[in-house]
Amino acid sequence: MDNSLVAELYLSFAAIFHRPNQDVSNHLEELIDLWSDVIPEIESIQKLTAFCKQLPPGEERLNALWEHYIPLFETGMVEASPYASVYLGKEGLVLGKEASNVKRFYTKCGYVMGEKSGELPDHLAVELEFCALLAQNGQDDLLKDFSTKHLEPFLKCILPRIKTSGRPVYSEVAKILEVRLLNLQKEGDFVG
Amino acid sequence: MKRRNFLKGILYGTGATAALVGGFGTFSKHSPLKAGATRAEGEEATVFSACEMCRNQCPIAVKVKDGKVCKIEGHPDDTAFGGVICARGNAGPSLLYDPQRIKKPMIRTGERGEGKFKEVSWDEAYTYITDKLYNVKDQFGGEAIALASRKGPHDWFFRSIGRALGSPNVFSHEATCPMTRSVALDTTFGTEGIQADYANTKYLISIGRNWFEGIHVAQTRAVSKALSKGAKLVVLDPRFSITAAKGEWLPIKGTTDLAFVMAMANIMIEENLYDQDFITHYSEGFEKWAEEVKDKTPEWAEKETGISKDTIIRITREFAAAKPNAILDFGWRTAYTPNDYQLRRAILIVNMMIGNLEVPGGYYKTKPANFLKNFPDLAGNAEGLGGVAQPGFPTPIKGRIDGTGVKGTPGQIIPAYDGAVGKIIESILTEEPYPIRAWLVHRFNPYISLTDSPRVLEAFKKLDLLVTCDVYMTDTAYFSDVILPECTYLERYEPIFDMSGLTPKYVIRQPAVPLVYPDTKPYWQIYKELGERMGLGDYFGFEDMADFINQQLAPTRLTFEKMKEIGVWTPSGMKGFYIRENDSKASLDNVLSTPSKKIEIFSEHVEEATKQGVPNYFSHPQPEEGTFRFVQGKVAVHTNAGTANVPILNELMPTNTLWMNPVSCRKLDLKDGDDIVISAGNYEQKGKLKMTEGIRPDSVFCYHGFGRISPELKRAFGKGINGNNLISNEIGIVGNAVTSTTFVRVRKA
Repeated sequence: MDNSLVAELYLSFAAIFHRPNQDVSNHLEELIDLWSDVIPEIESIQKLTAFCKQLPPGEERLNALWEHYIPLFETGMVEASPYASVYLGKEGLVLGKEASNVKRFYTKCGYVMGEKSGELPDHLAVELEFCALLAQNGQDDLLKDFSTKHLEPFLKCILPRIKTSGRPVYSEVAKILEVRLLNLQKEGDFVG
Repeated sequence: MKRRNFLKGILYGTGATAALVGGFGTFSKHSPLKAGATRAEGEEATVFSACEMCRNQCPIAVKVKDGKVCKIEGHPDDTAFGGVICARGNAGPSLLYDPQRIKKPMIRTGERGEGKFKEVSWDEAYTYITDKLYNVKDQFGGEAIALASRKGPHDWFFRSIGRALGSPNVFSHEATCPMTRSVALDTTFGTEGIQADYANTKYLISIGRNWFEGIHVAQTRAVSKALSKGAKLVVLDPRFSITAAKGEWLPIKGTTDLAFVMAMANIMIEENLYDQDFITHYSEGFEKWAEEVKDKTPEWAEKETGISKDTIIRITREFAAAKPNAILDFGWRTAYTPNDYQLRRAILIVNMMIGNLEVPGGYYKTKPANFLKNFPDLAGNAEGLGGVAQPGFPTPIKGRIDGTGVKGTPGQIIPAYDGAVGKIIESILTEEPYPIRAWLVHRFNPYISLTDSPRVLEAFKKLDLLVTCDVYMTDTAYFSDVILPECTYLERYEPIFDMSGLTPKYVIRQPAVPLVYPDTKPYWQIYKELGERMGLGDYFGFEDMADFINQQLAPTRLTFEKMKEIGVWTPSGMKGFYIRENDSKASLDNVLSTPSKKIEIFSEHVEEATKQGVPNYFSHPQPEEGTFRFVQGKVAVHTNAGTANVPILNELMPTNTLWMNPVSCRKLDLKDGDDIVISAGNYEQKGKLKMTEGIRPDSVFCYHGFGRISPELKRAFGKGINGNNLISNEIGIVGNAVTSTTFVRVRKA
């Protein structure tokens, strides 16, 4: 798989796990196209397509995403806290050691989080977006290193939670991401 | 290739979404020049600030390591606090780094209470609030907008919004807290600025005050100090509290405390145990009080209170023998009864009967810089804080919904700053005296803090606009139209607080770390920006908090930098003083601000307002067989409605239970740990039973602050009993919440 496709894939997952916005919401079909190209047989694609048919691009779709994003990731219920530190630290709190570790990794690779990014360094979407940048720039070894040390341990904790939440879009995308992760670990063998 | 221009656009920086190096704009290229700004590994620092896990603002020393708050201790240089803090204060980092905090402004998208929200920018939130508030103002007048907050330094900013809109309906939470005490202090001394010198007292009587669970660190330490020096402690409480465990427990019948206090006065007069010189010299109206208590004999009080007359006589004699270094405590909690202010007045009067004002171990006037101006020898020790000037606020067109300030009615003696916050619910629902249509709430959770919780929800549903500013998705936030995410106290500057006691004292709150969630804001910024959006910017005449603080400190010879460095300031070398310590006849003209410049045992104001110039006794009903008086109280590891969801505090105490005496349990065939249903009229709450000798058989008890209904308070949701769900919204004579007159039934679930 060429680097630009890998980058697009990571970015597509980042797009979903960042806070919902109108742009991404309106282009959900495009993301589904991408996933169906890479993992064509998975049932989740059909569910996502059905969601898009039921809610065409627009405010209603965006509100539907918010309705599930907030209790899933953001406030209160936080069924699947999107911060790696919550799972990989002892206290279950944000800005733990893992946040410092990934931040250091970003610096090592020549990146910093912009002052207006509005997010913590170990947010799921931030880590996925970072992987997209590494892939885009052909920094394959660093991508592998980051994925092994940081992203994969995090995904192993968070994806089962997102999947079992049953939240439309998010649980399906988590399943697709999990399959993608398995595919990567199998070094070329596709699961689907 | 299918249609994937969107992703490519983002990835390569040509899409609609801002792109710095590709992607969603999260990253930018690392600048080597900025590398040096990164905090060095292992770097440690101490930041002096003030706690906000409750409203007491204890001075703290925040330990920061690698840019993270790792521990909080008490400020080592503040002798009153002695370098210690309570469990809640220790839990600051747990709140700070909690993944369940609110992170972005939110606007409701579903039905009210359905829990559907979207996140929005601050601009969108401000615009939404502005449009809605002006709609309400245009249609119903500024008075249709109510504001309520926990009392604190945010008031200046928060209240400016309401006052600038012409609303008279700006409330604190005090009516659900110690407001009856404030009324008593105001009407007896002409000032609320009176404190108790617990550390030096020799005899301390508490009427339900529970220093070891309702913790104020300085006061709890002072009581401990007195006890360690041999002071006697007597606790009147239907429940065996932790404080009761440290002294003599008198399990008094609920709502009869005034009978005990009046009997004390009766005994002191009959046995000539009071300080006649003090009463003659400093007070007026004593003869009316003596007349009022002449038939309040110990025998009578025994029947009312359930405390034997011999005990009442003994306690009274012991108390009087310790004069003037004794304290009958004036309390600090929600009022028990509708006429609770008269209990507090009576307590103050009995204290004055032993002449314990302005002596060690008694009561004293706080001594801020402006007070010292009255004493030429001391005036040079401190200068009062300055302030930020504001234009005059528009005069409200209508009076307040609670009648505060109306002469010839109880409203005459309700503190205008506080008001009867429970009246907001009634005005929303009944539209009397006129409707409230919009409600702004700051760090206050009416669903848990006000009585009659179901009625509070009904009221929420009738509003055109409900805005909540908080750190969590509280129960009230869950029902709001707009939620504004405040940063925590560990991330913000605030105005300098005047925390003067026996000497002047200034305390700063400053950030120990940068914002954890970058899109949260300090309250002063939120209300300044909202005010500016509403065209009310003239009321916020400061650039930022540094500018605000500089204007405050301008007259004081202190600087912002100095305050940041020391955290707490008191005049160097100045010792606290009591005006009558060495001269029992010293003038109290600077202490007393009543119209008569005397201690008003009989108060013309109270007479005019309630026709009870001296406290009268009213006998409240007692529970019939099969019913129980329902009482609530504080617990040491939580702050009322505020901390149930803080991770470490929730871990320490996730829920509450209903305390019941074994005698009552046997009658109802209930066992310790049983699942139970508690009912009061149409209302019910489920919970677990705790069987204990530590409660009168005619009463049941639970800790306050549990039974949360916001699913977004994940840890606290659905756990425990919400006592306020069982109590009707009875508003006391001076606007106070009434918490101890409800009777409940209990059955196995």
